[in-house]
Parts: sequence; structure tokens; C-alpha cells
Amino acid sequence: MERRTIVIDPVTRIEGHAKITLHLNEQGRVEDAHFHVTQFRGFEKFCEGRPFSEMPSLMARICGICPVSHLIASAKACDALLAVRIPPTADKLRRIFGLAQVVQSHALSLFYLSSPDLLLGMDADPASSNLFGVLAKNPSLARDGIRLRQFGQQIIERLGGKRIHPAWIVPGGVSEPLTVQNRDAILASLPEALAIAERTMEWFKGTTEQFREEIASFGNFPTLFMGIVKEDGGLTFYDGKIRMANAAGDVVADGLDPARYADYLGEKVESWSYLKSTYYKPKGFPDGIYRVGPLARVNVADRCGTPRADQELAEFHELQRTAVLSSFHYHHARLIEILYCVERMQQLLTDPEILSKHVRAFARPNALEGVGAAEAPRGTLFHHYKIDEQGLIRWANLIIATGHNNIAMNKSILQVAKHFVHGERLAPGMLNRVEAVIRCYDPCLSCSTHAAGQMALQVQLLNAAGEVLDEVVRG
Amino acid sequence: MARILILGYGNPLRSDDGLGWRAAEELSRTLSSADVDILARHQLTPELAGPLSQAATVFFIDASREGEPGELSCVPVTPQASGAGFSHQLSPAAVLALSQLLFGTSPRAFLVSLCGQNFDHGENLSPPVAAGLPRLTALVGQLVQHLGQQQAVRSR
Repeated sequence: MERRTIVIDPVTRIEGHAKITLHLNEQGRVEDAHFHVTQFRGFEKFCEGRPFSEMPSLMARICGICPVSHLIASAKACDALLAVRIPPTADKLRRIFGLAQVVQSHALSLFYLSSPDLLLGMDADPASSNLFGVLAKNPSLARDGIRLRQFGQQIIERLGGKRIHPAWIVPGGVSEPLTVQNRDAILASLPEALAIAERTMEWFKGTTEQFREEIASFGNFPTLFMGIVKEDGGLTFYDGKIRMANAAGDVVADGLDPARYADYLGEKVESWSYLKSTYYKPKGFPDGIYRVGPLARVNVADRCGTPRADQELAEFHELQRTAVLSSFHYHHARLIEILYCVERMQQLLTDPEILSKHVRAFARPNALEGVGAAEAPRGTLFHHYKIDEQGLIRWANLIIATGHNNIAMNKSILQVAKHFVHGERLAPGMLNRVEAVIRCYDPCLSCSTHAAGQMALQVQLLNAAGEVLDEVVRG
Repeated sequence: MARILILGYGNPLRSDDGLGWRAAEELSRTLSSADVDILARHQLTPELAGPLSQAATVFFIDASREGEPGELSCVPVTPQASGAGFSHQLSPAAVLALSQLLFGTSPRAFLVSLCGQNFDHGENLSPPVAAGLPRLTALVGQLVQHLGQQQAVRSR
């Protein structure tokens, strides 16, 4: 038998455009797989020549799902250019903004994109594997998902003036202080959000038993894990140092300065994708494979620092004595983080300083280079800018969560395909599992490649001569 | 939520696709009734099911690709569950279906649109759509007024 290739194009229920090719050997078994990101954005180039002060607003346009993360990382890079320390209240308000963003983004990923797989099963009819299918089987779960996303969006709208592309975060702080009315309205919404998170966690934990085979084969392999942690090792989304842990759960590098990311992270360009692959330099490419995002964050953090999230984190670590390795558990980690975000917002909003009117520091540029890093919903986000004496952007580099996870996503697809794909045709359940493993990472390709539109997927099955044996296109 | 919901949607950075936003802005200036709520959104998402369920009538405003550039149309929309794989971007019929399924009610709904000419990058409407915008807002204004009169008659 000759070598063949399967193509899945487009990949569905993800953010952006991609296709997958599965390469079969002469025995008809999967021997290689590639996740091709087929859209291109180019923000790093077309911001050149713009005033640095425009960067937060420009960079927020990278993504309609997580504009706040780009606002935060960009503003932090601009803070570094100004060489200012932003007012404490601005710091806290930015954190609340970021936490709300994580909740709405995680809600979208878990409820809108992945809950059809979790509720209806991996072999469900693709025509019903959507929110309507969830609604028909479990209306309260669908309602909770919609409410939770709305909760996060409403906080963003209250603070930033609008829910998509808000421009409230600016170099030096935020543009407006928090009003008593908005603080009280957000505080009043927290109990419902916490109750939804609690209910969903219980529901999720009750479903995992039926996914043993997926847990065993969805990106279940040793890698490094990377995330920003606080000085005390606690979970954070806004500020701290980089920590790298290995598959055994041991910390292999700690206290790394995010501004010096280029010392320890390398970027590799592959001819078959617009998405760069990032790796841990001390181990080289591809052995420097690491994962970021919810699973990585809960693997590297010593604690969350809020009561309910810490209880769930302790239970999570009972899943495996080492680091929790299966990427299927990204979903579980997402739920822990939702709990943390709601609880942490409560802490920040009841801080006596939160209504202070001093929320912005003003300065002219004092440095020609600045790096901003933060934890976006999907993982660690770096914005790195160089400016000239006039404050115009001369060079920019963005490292986005989906890029950090690129090697792991490719390896995960290969693992799933080897386990579930047999023969020359793509059965729906096989195809969906190949897609579902990608959804675990919740990749955002609009963010990471700098094209408009939805993430559609193409899967191709090719033979050894490169001929397409089977192809599925969805979008 | 007001009795009448006007929901303009589209991408304001894609020329004529920004029609919904422009119409929403224009109607915000001319319709000041407490009974009317006006929203502008990039796309229709499931979260809109809540506001829809609280309205008696909704006008969706969007640019269309059917017809001659600048051609005005107003058609009724009925709830229909969508099988879209990407469920954070929905059709008007699908959002209405969500409202019905989640809250047990969905408003009477109309899709008011102008056929667009240019959907490329840009913040300006094409000449035929710009020329048609006053006709569209006038139509929505008249329909809102008519619904208000109907309500007044019913309240008596």
C-alpha cells in the first residue's frame, strides 16, 4: 500500500482558520500530522511608524474575543517605554478588567465550543454538535454558559465603555476611575457567576469518567509548562515572573524576567503554517516543547489564593502525582480559573482604594524599548516594542499563547490521530476527536498570526506521493 | 428592556457592513422614546437572547448582499434553530430561536436591510448605501411610531 494523507479543512468550533493533514504510511497507519494555520494578520509589521501611544488601541483590534489581554500587554509595554509606575488603583482596575475577560473567554470556549463534545459525546451528529444541541439536552447548562459570558462582557462594558475593543486601558494606567455605581453593580453580579461556576464544575467532574480514552490520548505526554506566577508562587493573570515546570511537576526555571523572554524562548518558522512555533531555548527545538494556558498555569502555580479555587486546585492535583499531563484537562483547569477570577474580583472590588480618582501616571517616553507580559485566557502573552526618539514604533514582536502551544498542538493531533484514525476514510467521530483535541487548547488564530473571520477547519488524508485520499471541509 | 429593540450589527471597518452601526447611531439621535432601546453589535451572539426575550418587537438592521446596491428591504424573521458549528456568531432567526428556547418567548422581528456594494476595508459607506441610509432610518422611525400608536390604542 502506498503512503497517504488525510486533510481536515476547515477545523470547526475554533477561533480562526486552519486545516489539518494526516500522513499515512504504507500500512495505512498515521505516521505524521500537521496543524496548518492558513490565515495571516501581520500586526507586527503594519504598526511600524505609528505613535507608541496608539498601540494599546491598535493591538486590541487583533482579537474580538480577547482584546482586553492585548490592551493589557500593550499598555504594560508602553508603561515600560514611559518608565512609569502606574497608580495602585489603576493596577487593581486593570486586573479586574483582565479577570472579567478571562471569564467571558473561558465561558465561550467551554460552553459554546466544547460543551457539545462533553455533553453530546464525541460521536454525536456534527449537525447537532452546537449550542442548540446543548440547549435541547441540558437547557440549564446552555443558559448558564450564556449568562456567564454575559457576566464577563458586562463588566468589560461597565469599565471600558464597550464590550468589544474597549480603549479604557492606556499607557500609564486607565483613562477613568471606577464609579460607586459600577462597583456596586459588579459586586451584585458576582454571587450568580460564582454559583454558575460551582454548578458547572460539579457537572464537568461528573462527565469525565466517560472520556477515559480521550483523557489518555488527548495530548497526554510529557512537556514543560510555562506561566507567570506571583512572587509567592500564586496564580496571577496580570503581573509576576515566568516559571517553567517539567512533567514531573518540578520547577526547572523560576523568577525569569518576562522582559528577557528572548533569552529563554526561541521562535521557529515552519513552511507549512503562518503560526510560529515557540520553544524553550535551553532544550532546543523541538525538545523545548512546552504548554501554556489554563492547564499550564494550574500546573506551575503553588496556589490560587482564593478559597474555592484552592479547594478545586487541591482536588485537581489528585488526578496525577506529577504535573497533570493530558490536554483534555484544559477544560477542568479553565473552570478552576473561572472560580478564581470571580473570587479575586470580589477581593479587588472591596479594596478601600478601588474608588480612588488617581488612576493614571503621565510621562513622555523615557526608554526606547519596552516589553509587556500578561496571562491571556489562552496563555502567556508578550508585546515587545522599540521606538525612535519621536516615539514612533520602529519594531514590534508579539508572542501569543497559541504560538507557545503550537508544537504541543501538532503533537496532540498526531497522538489522537494515531489512536482514533484508521483506514483511508474519515468517520465523523474520528474527525471530531482530531478537532476536539485542538479545542482543548482553545487556539485563537486571529490573535496568533496577525485574517478576519471564523475558525473553520480542513482535514486532508494524503498518500505517500502527496495525493489527497480524503478531505473534509467545514466552516 | 424597552418594548422595541433596534439592533444594528456588522463590522464598521468593512465599509457597507457598517450600515447597522451607522443606522443605530442615526436612530439614537432621532428616536428618544423610553420604549425604544438601540444596540450596535459586531455580530449576533447568544447573549442577545436575553434582551430579545424582553422586547415585544425587534428590528435587526444589517447590510445585505441580495439585490441592487442601495435597495431597501424589510422582511419578517421567525425563530429557527441554526446548526452553525461556530455558535458565537448567529443569524437573526437563530438568536430568536435561542430566545424562545431559553426564555419561552421571542419578539415579533423584522430584518431591515440595504443591499451593500462594497464590503472591503474602510469606514465609509458606498454612495448607494449612504444615499439609502435616510430611507432606512425613516422606515424604521415610521414603523416604531406605528407600533407606538397601536400600543396607545390598546392601552385606552
